Amino acid sequence: MSKVIKSTFISEAVEGFTPRTAMEEASRCLLCHDAPCSKGCPAGTDPGKFIRSIRFRNVKGAAETIRENNILGGSCARVCPYDRLCEEACSRCGIDRPIEIGKLQRFAIEQEEALNMTVLKAPEVKKEAKVACVGSGPASLACAAKLAMEGYEVTIYEAEEKAGGVLTYGIAPARLPQHVVDHDIETVKNLGVKFVFNTRVGKDITLEKLQEDYAAIFVGAGLWLEKLPEIPGVELPGVMAAADFLKKARKSEGTYNPGRRVIVIGGGNVAMDSAVSAKLLGAEKVDIYYRRTIEEAPADMAEFQYVLSLGISITTNFAPAEVLGTDKVEAMKFKGRDGESEAKVAVDTVIFAIGQGAEDMGSIAPFALNEKGLIVVDYSCKTSVDGIFAGGDVTLGGKTVVEAVASGKIAAVGMMNYLAQKEVN
Amino acid sequence: MGIKKDLSIDFLGVRCENPFFLSSSPVGSNYEMVAKAFESGWGGVYYKTIGIFVADECSPRFDHVKKEGMPWLGFKNMEQISDKPTEVNFDNMYKLKKAYPEKIMVASIMGSNEQEWRQLAKMCDEVGVDLIEGNFSCPQMTSHAMGSDVGTNPDLVRAYSKAVAETTKIPFIAKMTPNITDMCIPAIAAMEGGAKGISAINTVKSITNIDLENMTAMPVVNGKSSISGYSGAAVKPIALRFIAQMLQHEKLRNVPMSGIGGIETWRDSLEFLLLGCRNLQVTTSVMQYGYRIVEDMSNGLMHWMDERGYDKLDDFVGKALDNIIPAEDLNRDFKILPDFDNEKCVGCGRCYVSCFDAGHQAIDWNADKRRPELNEKCVGCHLCLNVCPVADCIMPGEVKWKDGRQQTDIILKKNYE
Repeated sequence: MSKVIKSTFISEAVEGFTPRTAMEEASRCLLCHDAPCSKGCPAGTDPGKFIRSIRFRNVKGAAETIRENNILGGSCARVCPYDRLCEEACSRCGIDRPIEIGKLQRFAIEQEEALNMTVLKAPEVKKEAKVACVGSGPASLACAAKLAMEGYEVTIYEAEEKAGGVLTYGIAPARLPQHVVDHDIETVKNLGVKFVFNTRVGKDITLEKLQEDYAAIFVGAGLWLEKLPEIPGVELPGVMAAADFLKKARKSEGTYNPGRRVIVIGGGNVAMDSAVSAKLLGAEKVDIYYRRTIEEAPADMAEFQYVLSLGISITTNFAPAEVLGTDKVEAMKFKGRDGESEAKVAVDTVIFAIGQGAEDMGSIAPFALNEKGLIVVDYSCKTSVDGIFAGGDVTLGGKTVVEAVASGKIAAVGMMNYLAQKEVN
Repeated sequence: MGIKKDLSIDFLGVRCENPFFLSSSPVGSNYEMVAKAFESGWGGVYYKTIGIFVADECSPRFDHVKKEGMPWLGFKNMEQISDKPTEVNFDNMYKLKKAYPEKIMVASIMGSNEQEWRQLAKMCDEVGVDLIEGNFSCPQMTSHAMGSDVGTNPDLVRAYSKAVAETTKIPFIAKMTPNITDMCIPAIAAMEGGAKGISAINTVKSITNIDLENMTAMPVVNGKSSISGYSGAAVKPIALRFIAQMLQHEKLRNVPMSGIGGIETWRDSLEFLLLGCRNLQVTTSVMQYGYRIVEDMSNGLMHWMDERGYDKLDDFVGKALDNIIPAEDLNRDFKILPDFDNEKCVGCGRCYVSCFDAGHQAIDWNADKRRPELNEKCVGCHLCLNVCPVADCIMPGEVKWKDGRQQTDIILKKNYE
């Protein structure tokens, strides 16, 4: 019998370091000259520097480095694909295995919280120009924090009742516990950033109204358009999109019933999160189906391994062909990539994690959009509409949290330059 | 069947089944402890120091020094000599010798005047211990008439050694304190007084850490602390130095020496033997890991002997001593350039950082390839080799002779662990 991990929806998948084990891990670090790991971080979190701080018994300095460079240091520590960023660049790979950079980052941020540190402070004297951010996901939070630290008064408009966007509604809590997201958001709030919840821009408030009140606006609306394939039976009850499922699961705080037998379709991290969530919420049987091979799948290997450790199966080279059932889903029919194989599997819930699209951004403002409906921006994250900038998934497509943070930081610089040129200070 | 080699050795006319002894310390304080140590394979014990003085101890009494994740690099101990009644200790030693006749019982004693030293020596004689060690070196006694304050005074060392030698025929070993510039002076004084052997080193006076909570040293005893003895791996280099200096002194050249200081492994043990020690004493690593460490000490030493083709300890005791020479006698006519293995190199750049900041700026950093490149400024110091985290990546390479110097065949080190 294989030893399968039994866990609950809200318990964490991985234990963190203690001060002693963190020191042991930091001692493995080669303390490289011109550290490759630091070059490997899109958000410039600078692991080379913060690991050196831990090694030289300065954990507060480590937390400072992380926070100053990456306002979402806590969340990124949990969800970053290290194995293809900083840890892949780690020189120690040449000896045995890389330093566990993500876990050390998590340790430093946990110490920041435990030691009640306030790393970032906004200037007392505020600038005249006020700025708004649309959406409260990673890109908006990073943009708002950077502007607030420069003395701008920033207000974030969020359609949901809680801040965080994909961090709060789109990732399994086993991977990213809510308290970690909340702590990151607290650091943004401590900079004086205001949040307006339950307010969807374009519906509850118009962009024109925002333009009257704010000198510049950042749009970080994310990708929340649920995608379902155009196959027969997809309208049957029991068929859901991953974003919808994950949001319901997160909001229920672990009480949502996913059904007895669940099939998740897709090969990205959202598919993995959906499968993990379904299993941890109590589904007896969870199976992932992906139309290509594991090698072609976008999900991180660590996520595949975690899924497997929970006893979830992964079937590759099978694409969804038809949802079968009368009043509700009863079975799922798949067609093999080889053109010959077929499978019919009895099921209660089918979750499609086949990518998410941008909602109708044209309804907010007359942005130039690309063929996927994503907002087109220049190098400084400026859109085609004067005074409006955009970043995160709504411009990048479904990328990582750390890349969204990076684009939020770039947009903040772009907005400051824009405001300087307009001589609004 | 595991390896079997003869580890027995003669020390002061006493045949010891192996050279591994517990030193006089908390690890050999009573009957049960010593009995367990004997069963575990220790060849003998220096029973915890007995005096007429009975110690009154403080709590807590230990601290340790760590670096990065590594604890116990050095250890601080505030315990004095035995806190048990003198008679109880002698009774224990008597019973232990009866129960384990093949094991070697050494009584460690400490008096505060000549009369006490004689009294203790007489009791040793009556009990019939194999050897006596005079503790002239405990640095944390609450009386200045005892311990390292005595050990730094050659006249007292001579007088007390004489008092013991006149009282009993049992060979007497004088235990030296390292809290002194030249250990040869008290060692010679001890021999003049009638000591037959020397043991070194006792602990080094220390303050291991300052406690930021109470603004005192560690360990914290009711908000205060005191200077006391430091031991463990950190003091091994100091012990080896004192031992080599004594054994190279013309008046101490063939003195039976018991080596003490940071011994944890067969490898540490061997290093003391190679300097000429015929007996070894261990405490700190036993405090950390227990008596069982003697298993790998003896087994590891047997395997090394097997590799080198040695059958007994006398084949190699003292073999390294004569190769330690005065700095002015070293050959300074050449430099050995480091050789960089670009295949093994992981590109961390530590050699570059250390050479620039602490060496001779002899390494250029190729940022594109992330590789070091040696330039003409290299002096052959090998700092780069010492900081490189990769095994066998930086190794001794080309030998360059200084201008006008005589070229000869030179001996190189080839294997680094």
